[in-house]
Amino acid sequence: MELDPNVVHVAIRWLHVAAMATAFGGAVSVLALSTRPGDVSAGAIVGVAIRYEWIFWAAAGVLAMTGIGNLAAFGAALLGPATNWGVTLLLKLGSVLTLVVLSLPRTLAVARMSAGPIAPSVMIAVRNLYGATTGAFAAILAMAIWLAHG
Amino acid sequence: MKLLTWALATFHTTVFVLIIVLFAYSGGGLGGALGGLNTFAGLGLFVALWATTYLTTSRALKGLDLIASARARAGYPIRALRWGAANGMSFLVILGLVAVIGGIASTRPEQVVSGILIPALFISPIALVVSAAFGGAVGAFFGMIDLALFAVAGLTGEDAEPTV
Repeated sequence: MELDPNVVHVAIRWLHVAAMATAFGGAVSVLALSTRPGDVSAGAIVGVAIRYEWIFWAAAGVLAMTGIGNLAAFGAALLGPATNWGVTLLLKLGSVLTLVVLSLPRTLAVARMSAGPIAPSVMIAVRNLYGATTGAFAAILAMAIWLAHG
Repeated sequence: MKLLTWALATFHTTVFVLIIVLFAYSGGGLGGALGGLNTFAGLGLFVALWATTYLTTSRALKGLDLIASARARAGYPIRALRWGAANGMSFLVILGLVAVIGGIASTRPEQVVSGILIPALFISPIALVVSAAFGGAVGAFFGMIDLALFAVAGLTGEDAEPTV
């Protein structure tokens, strides 16, 4: 029995959107926790950030894998890099690459924070790191929506 | 399983693939190349590369605490080169097995030895050397990128407390 290619492409797109929602939602959650910690200690927030880093890298791998699967669904009909759509795709791929590259220092910084005593002032760094990550994801999401529906 | 191993392995896999996709798309050949690739084969190859990169990264980092030790970071590029070469060869073995099994499945039984197995036997040593050289170069490149990003994270100075 052969699977309907449309079903496969919908499943890949579902996985892509789910990975994006997980990575984006997780970054928003850590940002919200570090901005308004309430009764939550700095140590607990860094602990959540460490959990997020595990999830982020899993999501990054799934996003890259399914993103290429989404492009493959276009096949030879994929619009060229000189079109408006193509320029936006190049911009999106460049933004994703930049986010992935700059996420490694974020992971290292959070791992380093978790290794030593955690001062409340660490929350400023956590807020900045996850604020930048959230902003980058929001920009990439806007480009993705434009590519899908623009 | 350590966070650093997981992060570095996924970082290397995604950046490597994204750079190839960016160049292929800029050159205009991506649509045709992806269109000719079976979806499951494409996903399978990505997962295989991710898995071999994870295993080789894990071996490269064995006994090293890159976050706490400046000495460990100094020795990292050589290990990245060596295990990059191992990753290149591992991925080639997977590719080769898929190609040989696919070839056998689509070839008449009397032609399998002369048409598939003997050519594979002659090509494989050369392909292994090329894949080791390519993998080593990619590993060394990522070793340097990693150290630069460690510096961005403020990990440049003397040894700190060991991390988990």
